[in-house]
Amino acid sequence: MEPDPTIRLGARGVTRRFGDLVANDRIDFAARRGTVHAIVGGNGAGKSTLMRILQGMDRPDEGSVLVDGEPAVFSGPAHAFAKGIGMVHQEFMLVPGLTLLENLVLAHEPVGALGSIDRKAALEAARSLEQEAGVRLDWNVAVEDAPVHVRQIVEILRLLYRGADVLILDEPTAVLAPAQVRELIALLRKLKEEGRTILFISHKLDEVLSVADAITVLRAGRVIGTTTAAETDKAKLAEMMIGEAIHMPSARPAAVSAPALELSAIAARDGRGVAKLAGIDLTVRGGEIVGVAGVAGNGQDELAGAVTGLHPVEAGRVVLCGSDMAGRSLHERRMRGLAYLSPERGTEGLCLAAPILENAIAGHQRRADLCGGGVLRANAIRKHVETLLDRYSVKRHSAGQPIGSLSGGNQQRVAIARELDGDPKLLVACQPTRGVDIRGIAFIHQCLLDFRGRGGAVLLISEELDEIITLSDRIIVLYGGRVTGEVERGAAGIETIGRMMLGEKAA
Amino acid sequence: MSDVAASPIRRIAGSRWQALADALIPLILSLLIAAVVLALAGHNPFDVYRLLAVESFGGTRRIAATLSSATPLVLTGLATAIAFRAGAFNVGIEGCVYIGGLAAAYIGFAWTGLPAAFLIPTALLASVIVGGLWMLVPGVLKARLDVDEVVTTLMLNFIAVSLTSWLVNGPLLARGSANSATPMIAAAARLPELLPPSTLNLGFVIAVLCLVLYSLWSRRTALGLETKLAGMNPRFAVASGIDVPMLLIKMMIVSGAIGGLAGGVHALGNVHRFVAGFSPGYGFTGIAIALLGRGSATGILLAAILFGALATSGATIQLFSDVPIEIVNILQGMVMIFAVARFGWLYAGRRRA
Amino acid sequence: MINDVIHSAFIMTTPVLLAALGGLLNRVGGLVNIGLDSMMLVGALLGIIVSSATGSWGLALVAAAIAGAVLGLLMSLVVTRLDANEIIVGLGFNVAVAGLVRFFLKSVYGAAGTLNLPNVVMMPRLHIPLVADIPVLGAILSGHDLLTWAAWTLVPVTAWFLSRTRLGLRLRAAGAAPQAARALGLDPLTLRDGSTVFAGLMAGLAGAYLSIGVVGIFNEGITAGRGFIALAAFYFGRNRPWLTAFGALIFGFFDAVQIRLQGRGVPAELVQTLPYIMVIVILTVVALAARRSKPKGA
Repeated sequence: MEPDPTIRLGARGVTRRFGDLVANDRIDFAARRGTVHAIVGGNGAGKSTLMRILQGMDRPDEGSVLVDGEPAVFSGPAHAFAKGIGMVHQEFMLVPGLTLLENLVLAHEPVGALGSIDRKAALEAARSLEQEAGVRLDWNVAVEDAPVHVRQIVEILRLLYRGADVLILDEPTAVLAPAQVRELIALLRKLKEEGRTILFISHKLDEVLSVADAITVLRAGRVIGTTTAAETDKAKLAEMMIGEAIHMPSARPAAVSAPALELSAIAARDGRGVAKLAGIDLTVRGGEIVGVAGVAGNGQDELAGAVTGLHPVEAGRVVLCGSDMAGRSLHERRMRGLAYLSPERGTEGLCLAAPILENAIAGHQRRADLCGGGVLRANAIRKHVETLLDRYSVKRHSAGQPIGSLSGGNQQRVAIARELDGDPKLLVACQPTRGVDIRGIAFIHQCLLDFRGRGGAVLLISEELDEIITLSDRIIVLYGGRVTGEVERGAAGIETIGRMMLGEKAA
Repeated sequence: MSDVAASPIRRIAGSRWQALADALIPLILSLLIAAVVLALAGHNPFDVYRLLAVESFGGTRRIAATLSSATPLVLTGLATAIAFRAGAFNVGIEGCVYIGGLAAAYIGFAWTGLPAAFLIPTALLASVIVGGLWMLVPGVLKARLDVDEVVTTLMLNFIAVSLTSWLVNGPLLARGSANSATPMIAAAARLPELLPPSTLNLGFVIAVLCLVLYSLWSRRTALGLETKLAGMNPRFAVASGIDVPMLLIKMMIVSGAIGGLAGGVHALGNVHRFVAGFSPGYGFTGIAIALLGRGSATGILLAAILFGALATSGATIQLFSDVPIEIVNILQGMVMIFAVARFGWLYAGRRRA
Repeated sequence: MINDVIHSAFIMTTPVLLAALGGLLNRVGGLVNIGLDSMMLVGALLGIIVSSATGSWGLALVAAAIAGAVLGLLMSLVVTRLDANEIIVGLGFNVAVAGLVRFFLKSVYGAAGTLNLPNVVMMPRLHIPLVADIPVLGAILSGHDLLTWAAWTLVPVTAWFLSRTRLGLRLRAAGAAPQAARALGLDPLTLRDGSTVFAGLMAGLAGAYLSIGVVGIFNEGITAGRGFIALAAFYFGRNRPWLTAFGALIFGFFDAVQIRLQGRGVPAELVQTLPYIMVIVILTVVALAARRSKPKGA
């Protein structure tokens, strides 16, 4: 094959295996100079592995990366960067404790006398980048004090500062509100017009269609096809991504009963003393799912924390199934019928190094059927866990294997199996399908709906607006720690809710 | 330290062979380095090691001596392992040995005229109680205020050594004695010897009994499971409704209590009184033992016997040859260093990214 | 009397301050150094041996610094390249090095714990004319050796280094977010190794200060746990050079007072516990203050 210099970055036959798993199977694609090339696919499609390879953090077992049409082998991220390839990671790579300006110039600092940093030169560079991108930032703020979309902009500007002309963005819109997504897309278009090449990784099809020139679809580690925004539409893309029609559960209203959760005038601050919740009133009844929509960081964590007792409240009452929970521990709340599905599966929801079995009973280890006089009933536990794992179709070798060796979807099945075990009254479900494959998503959604059907109450907190709209009987929107809107099922579309998420009151 | 991973013991989900290799590699490396030190000092390392082995395990009497010197080490290793299991870096067992030893010795010499059946349990109970109380402060500070337990327990070691040293030089000094020591304990307070004339005594049985209880506790009880989960992932444990701070305080107390017991058993079984410089670093050896034993009861027993053997044979060979006994400290430190190192990359092809 | 206490407080501060500044940079770089005491011990031993053999305190300082740095490098490599837990490795270094030093003393000098060598040249003390006669100020400024001056000079230098220089910025990044630093093409592990080597160097100098600056002989207990006091000082200072120096000064002051009190019928053993009790008290007070300020916040 003749090298094609219009291909700024690409892959030819890239294969990467991890044990039995083929994460990338003969991947081909070609991103042309001055275009936005999207790579779409569900969880487990192989996007992350491909990104690591393109960025020099991993190497293919077979095949090669193409740079300017020629095969290239990267010795590491620095080498890839030397070829102009930079990446904005899903979890941002800014250094806490440093200011935005320090982060901008880190590793490429303009130097003055005695090895000291020339702050004036650094600030000038920052200002000229601002102009190029059409934004304006306060550069002397510490990273942890900057809002999330500002951090993302800094990451992008940092790549430009360091001379990258290929930008790889991994799920860049996951943390943004709809309006901020539009801003980001405008920024990317501007950069494209200046001749830069952008690799846009996402599973959000609307955004992909609005920004990408070319689209490559991955599924199960393989390229299913490459198309353009003009040639395709959302339905076609979705079919390519999923491969078969998956029946997504749809919700119908169920009979509601007594309140399982009543919050009144809840106020809370985060760990640094910043007010995060102000005067939240909320009731969740048995037999209903109440969805909480909002851009990340608008009080969702504190709201879940107030209900579970993991985060202290400053004022207000939390009433669970009729009893006041003031000063009650999570354990006592669990005894009253609370269940809690953590948003951070790997660090809080599960203990990845421990066996599946222990993860499946954690919190229930003193229940009378599993434990007598402080001594665990080993046989009863084994039997109970096997039944549970079978009922939730957890794919496993044995219940004794570390849960970290399961896929994200199977891990989450164990987590939800445990939380719904023992007939709770209220489930606080935070990001229930984060990092779960599409089949797992359908399964977990069905679990939530079944639980509601049995008379359970669900407080659903999710960054996936689609998920909230599909499942919830009622949606409240959080902005700046206040409820800026409340809508019944089907009463508002994504745009209306999106506006509320940016603080505009419902009309 | 908050910026350090939660548990010092890595729980490896590998096979028994993997676990054995993990224990043997640090041992072999340490022996190699100590061999170089010996060779540099003009000794033949093979002769020294052979002599060590013979002096430790050659014959019933020597084995009894080895088990006798392993006795406090089983307990300090266990005490450390329990704290590690709960996710607390307790490096203060050395201090517990000191104050536990002094408490038991005090009962032993002050309450004379009582029968052994009452005196021994009371003296040991005293060592358990003061040991537990000694760890109460760092436990509470860690659990409630997130004060680094490594620093507080380290500092408490220095405090325990100075405090006991003051007591045996002043208020508790034996009459007519010039050196810093308490009076000898009553004959009834001495732990019965198992194989006279060796010093092996009831303390060894007590230590092994503690190990058995630990083994059952850690695998069969709800509290054992909760402790394990809290140690592996405290956030997860909290979200599961486990009261992790309270658990941490309890386990620090238990850890200190067993450390105190180590001192009590040493005082009643071996030294028969309390002297300044009472513990030759039993608490620190306990850290090496807990690490080498990877938190398992069998592992702790074997590691304690190994270090017991080194201590007893080291003392002997210092008498008969001119190899300084400090070779034992060198080995012990090396084992600590290598026991936490990861050698996976030696036999895996590619390094972790 | 008060001048004597102030003067000796500054003398006792120097070794703690030297090691604490090294440990501070080490911690900023991402490694909590529990092995400082072992590096101090080796520095003290080499300082006295080289001073006696060559008659040069300068060479002795160089030797002590190199010995500490080499020990620091070894420790760092085990932590960064073998992925070992730094606390256990630090404790292991303390145990192994203490054993090694005693082993060495017995094997080479036939000495048990104490080494008294002939012709040891002590570091000279700089008496500043006129200033020396001013009360308090004279005690603070005059009659100190080079290392004391160096230690206090390094306090602002360290602050400047961390906040203003390229290397300081990179070290902070390597400690706070090694992954991010790596993604930017920096080598956080090597930066961390560098900071441990520096910590070892400083601890080695601190040790030499004790042996050829203060005592004049070597004893296996010469550090008296000052490596751990240094650890407490930079914990107390929460990685801020001036606050760390203040912490070191408090401990130095305690050390000086303790020596005075011992001559006045107060039991020496009890007074010796004071600095350690202070560490626990100070950490507790700091934690209480942090907790109290949190909910109020901004």
